[in-house]
Amino acid sequence: MSDYQQFLDERDKIDFFIQKGYRINGVKEHLNGATVEFINPKGNVFETLVIGTANARKYFTSLLLKQNHT
Amino acid sequence: MADLRINLAGIQSPNPFWLASAPPTNSGYQVQRAFEAGWGGAVWKTLGDPILNVSSRFAAVSFNGQRVAGFNNIELITDRPLDINLKEIYETKKRFPNHAIIASLMVEPKQEKWHEIVKRVEDVGVDGLELNFGCPHGMAERGMGSASGQVPALVERQTYWAKEVAKTPVIVKLTPNITDITATAEAACNGGADAISMINTINSLMGVDLDSWNTIPHVAGKGAHGGYCGPAVKPIALNMVAECARHPHINVPISGIGGISNWKDAVEFMLMGATGVQICTAAMHHGFRIVEDMIDGLSNYLDSKGIAAVSEIIGKSVPKYSDWGNLDLNYNIVAKINTDVCINCNKCHIACEDTSHQCIDRLTDANGMSFLKVREEDCVGCNLCSIVCPVDGAIDMVEAVREMPPMTWNERQAALSGAAILKADVTK
Ligand SMILES: Cc1cc2nc3c(=O)[nH]c(=O)nc-3n(C[C@H](O)[C@H](O)[C@H](O)COP(=O)(O)O)c2cc1C
Ligand code: SF4
Ligand code: SF4
Repeated sequence: MSDYQQFLDERDKIDFFIQKGYRINGVKEHLNGATVEFINPKGNVFETLVIGTANARKYFTSLLLKQNHT
Repeated sequence: MADLRINLAGIQSPNPFWLASAPPTNSGYQVQRAFEAGWGGAVWKTLGDPILNVSSRFAAVSFNGQRVAGFNNIELITDRPLDINLKEIYETKKRFPNHAIIASLMVEPKQEKWHEIVKRVEDVGVDGLELNFGCPHGMAERGMGSASGQVPALVERQTYWAKEVAKTPVIVKLTPNITDITATAEAACNGGADAISMINTINSLMGVDLDSWNTIPHVAGKGAHGGYCGPAVKPIALNMVAECARHPHINVPISGIGGISNWKDAVEFMLMGATGVQICTAAMHHGFRIVEDMIDGLSNYLDSKGIAAVSEIIGKSVPKYSDWGNLDLNYNIVAKINTDVCINCNKCHIACEDTSHQCIDRLTDANGMSFLKVREEDCVGCNLCSIVCPVDGAIDMVEAVREMPPMTWNERQAALSGAAILKADVTK
């Protein structure tokens, strides 16, 4: 899979949670990229994604910045 | 015509082009000819206890047909008696009262030595002083030049000693042979410097002869490191000027030196904070008359931009120079190949395929002709293809449509530290 395809794939997964109203709850950066934890609007369901591509890592931090400002 | 005059810490000159302290300013004969040709100022070949030189002294790098892409010397300061230099400075100043003559000085790091030489040169009417803390060879082995210039405390103390007696502005010339030039620049300011100049030459060994195995240059079969200058050092010098110009504790004018070969280089240094420039290698390569093109070019540039005085451009690019952490991670450019200009040499394809991101495809059009196309979604905008492309205009780097708002690394890190950091490592 090309880097771009992988990015689209990771972005879709992030968007899937964001569209369902999830927020980014925590991030752990590591040698393989970042593990991002999402929390649902009710605050009782946690989901995690491992985000590897550089563009998707830019993407979720841009969303995090936006989230912090809303 | 725009006003080209500059005023560097009180030293005035009819234009920003000064000859740097070096062979072109070795004597009154030379400096007077330079002023006749149009140079606005001259920093006299460094004065101090006259030295002994070796032969040979210079070497140069030719790169792909460009002669003197870089230049190297193992020459020391003046080898002429001080009294002769002072007499010629006096005569030159009398003939050219409106041109700037700066005496470059280097003595042992002792208070009385600095006091003595400062008084002697000021008595003949110089417009300013430049303390040479930069010479990387010979003098350094005697505790002078870059040996002093690499130690902030010695820079500060010697600047202070010169300032104790100086009546004219004191410029401190810094060595680039140091990890962080702002440390010595700040020390010079703390010592009371009225201005700083940079760069002196960079430690270098030009080469080794493949037949004799001698160093280049060599002196009877032996070599020693020299000082590198000329076009090759410009990016290093420009960064050092810019780093000093944007430093909050360095608030004195800067005289920019290093690889300046034409008016465009001079404008770049001034935009990055230099009040004026000094030039050595370009004059040694082409003679004093290159200053004519420099003056014309600068003047036309300012006129074309509607700028009345060269002083208006000083430092205008400094706010645009920052730390990596302040750059926008969401800004993207991509390469676009203009097939009507492209000569199909394939250089860009090879560069991207072998050493970048494998995103230039060779395709075939309806007529069976092959052409190159960038897969923009995979292009990281590294510039490599446009750098290696031999044809101007064949590759444009264009801004991609912005998908996310600006975000710097520093903003990203702040946002991440605000988010809860996950305790468990859930990568496996
Ligand atoms: C042959 C030679 C001799 C030099 N001698 C001196 C000197 O006596 N004092 C000094 O401050 N700098 C000296 N320099 C350094 C120049 O003044 C200047 O800082 C350096 O060459 C960078 O400018 P450029 O790239 O325009 O040559 C010398 C440079 C050369 C090439
Ligand atoms: S800018 Fe870099 S990544 Fe993009 S096509 Fe050119 S070489 Fe490839
Ligand atoms: S390097 Fe330039 S000229 Fe050569 S194929 Fe690429 S775009 Fe065309």
